Amino acid sequence: MIYIQLFLSFMKIGFTSFGGMSMIPLILEEMTSHGWMTAEDLSNLVAIAEMTPGPLGINCATFTGTQTAGFLGGFIAVLGVLTPAFTLTLVIAVFFEKFKESSVMRRIMFVVKPICIAMILSVIVTLSSTTYFVEGTVQPFSIGIAALMLYLLIKRKWSVPKVIISSAMLGVIFYGVVPMVRG
Amino acid sequence: MDRIKKGLSIFAFFFKIGCFTFGGGWAILAQMEQEFVNKRQIITKSELLEMVAVGKSAPGIMITNISLLFGYHVAGVFGGLCAVFGIITPAVIILSIVTLFYNSFKDNYWVHAGLTGLRAAVVPIIGSAALSLGKDALRTPPAVVICLAAFCLSMFAGVSNILLVLLGVIGAMLWWGSTLVKKERVPEA
Repeated sequence: MIYIQLFLSFMKIGFTSFGGMSMIPLILEEMTSHGWMTAEDLSNLVAIAEMTPGPLGINCATFTGTQTAGFLGGFIAVLGVLTPAFTLTLVIAVFFEKFKESSVMRRIMFVVKPICIAMILSVIVTLSSTTYFVEGTVQPFSIGIAALMLYLLIKRKWSVPKVIISSAMLGVIFYGVVPMVRG
Repeated sequence: MDRIKKGLSIFAFFFKIGCFTFGGGWAILAQMEQEFVNKRQIITKSELLEMVAVGKSAPGIMITNISLLFGYHVAGVFGGLCAVFGIITPAVIILSIVTLFYNSFKDNYWVHAGLTGLRAAVVPIIGSAALSLGKDALRTPPAVVICLAAFCLSMFAGVSNILLVLLGVIGAMLWWGSTLVKKERVPEA
């Protein structure tokens, strides 16, 4: 039964990974061992997942499930990858709400919160290096868009959806219309 | 009835957030901050960072974990489920459609141009959240030192996020244990 196999595969992926790119090797292993996908399919999948909104894990599950067993397959794969959230994380949530005022939890959070900021900073550095310097060349339009959006977000208090839509429109102008006019 | 209403509005919020979560998921942070901390004041910056810390350390997908933690905090188990299904629904719908039209989509000149612009905005979005959350989390010198140390370990030593959080938890427990032994007053953390 393909649906049960899909569910079990993605449940395994969910429990053994921590989201984002860390899921890719696990997905590759599961997909090739079942013969559902090749490595090339998977790299296409990563490209799509990055182009579309939503968590990479959900995007991967939807794409794989839909490709192998239609829309129902996609839905089942998504449920599989969500199993850790509905079980383990739910238990953690219950305990966390109960004990977050305890003195040991306050200490843990005092230490873990700055670590969280550090994780976000390293994501920013990694993303900047691939977005604004593509294969060794500086991307002036991208840097310009980024600077403008930073100003709008912080000084003008623009909302994230507004920023996303306007930067996509600027992208169409600078990376679509401008190169076309220049020939 | 009230619970269902609350659950539905949580679903609607997360549906909206799910439509605009590009760039590896961290953009959810900026949106939750704008929506739930600044605009509606449902949670504090500090609580949001705690949810991120817990959500990142639990197995599975960080974004759905954070959604679950928030939903549970606001409206119990039902709220958690509503938040998770809210955040994934746009992704599932869009991906199903894209999968069908995959070949014409991936090579489209205009789609590519728009996405290049969109990708340029991901760093400022995450950056603005980091700036504002950092103001809250880095108020004391020890916190700044911990942040810098963790940043260096992550950037230059390739230490994984999970290991960083684990080290932090162990360190914090040792710190807690040592103050218990000394019977010191617990400082405001």
